[in-house]
Amino acid sequence: MPVVDLQHTRIHLQEMNTGAAETVLMIHGMFTNLSIYYFNIAPILAQRFHVVLYDLKGHGMSGKSSHGYHLQAMSDELMELLEVLQLDAVHLAGYSYGGLIALKTAARFPQKIKKLAVIESPDPYEQETMSIVDIYSKELLLHFINGQPGHALQPGKRQLERRHRMYEFLLKESSIRQDMQQERHFFSSEEITAIPHETLLIYGASSDCAPAGRHLQEKINRSRLLLVNGDHNIPVQEPMTIGHELKNFFETDL
Amino acid sequence: MDQLTQPTNLSEQEILDVLKQFITEVIGEEFVEDLEITPQSSFTKDLEMDSIEIVAFSEKVKAHFGRNIDFTGWLSNMDLDEIIQLNLGDITKYIRSCL
Repeated sequence: MPVVDLQHTRIHLQEMNTGAAETVLMIHGMFTNLSIYYFNIAPILAQRFHVVLYDLKGHGMSGKSSHGYHLQAMSDELMELLEVLQLDAVHLAGYSYGGLIALKTAARFPQKIKKLAVIESPDPYEQETMSIVDIYSKELLLHFINGQPGHALQPGKRQLERRHRMYEFLLKESSIRQDMQQERHFFSSEEITAIPHETLLIYGASSDCAPAGRHLQEKINRSRLLLVNGDHNIPVQEPMTIGHELKNFFETDL
Repeated sequence: MDQLTQPTNLSEQEILDVLKQFITEVIGEEFVEDLEITPQSSFTKDLEMDSIEIVAFSEKVKAHFGRNIDFTGWLSNMDLDEIIQLNLGDITKYIRSCL
């Protein structure tokens, strides 16, 4: 299993097409892992790019960490990862919470990012949209897992226990919920309007997060909003569309 | 330890034995003891593997069988539902067809 040791945590990553000249680094969302890109979206990008996928700390096969889930710490770790991998500047794509980390990284380290893609990132101020962090209970967890589109089969007992342990750790033993609450004003901050990168915003046409996409489009000067069929789960619902749109976006002008 | 080999003329049973070993390494021996792993075993329903475990399994297949097969490329033509419903017999046949 490919892992790298950062200062505070051990990170599991996967790379594809390591010989390519340009790199796309992809960040998954909260409570998921790099597999959301691995099977469909990343192979499309790997036709042209070196692709780096990694599990955020506390997720997938990366190490656990009880603190430091706010966007500044997460973008610091992303920079540390680039340094370890000896990557000078990359294209960056993030889904949901991963998109927030991508936005923060682009704002703080503009010279390290070439183009930026944000998929279905909620406005942290909209606590209703962010409320996945607050609805935790065993009963709701089961509804949440069973309601995930793309997973026609019911998860087995071992899978449920694994996921339960992840939620239990992240929501009860880590600071992730408090860390995200302190990001409430991120979209109205000056850092967002100062993002200089060409930015593609991909949102589900029927997603509760679509207004956040329109909000970002107004704020980020060089941004374009693309609505695709589906809701917040568009990486699972429309992986081919997203893969090809990202590839077209990143390869233009190369 | 994953090892890059140049397998030739492996039977389906031999390939299946290698895949069983990878599954044991990914989900742990204590869980495998309670499972009957056959060519009909599916990742999710029978083996209870989740998507990140299937990633780890895929990487082991690639590391072991090498460039003779494009395992990720083969998987990338399927949607997630098809991937999680794949059974070991399907994978064995695909690997054998590439060797």
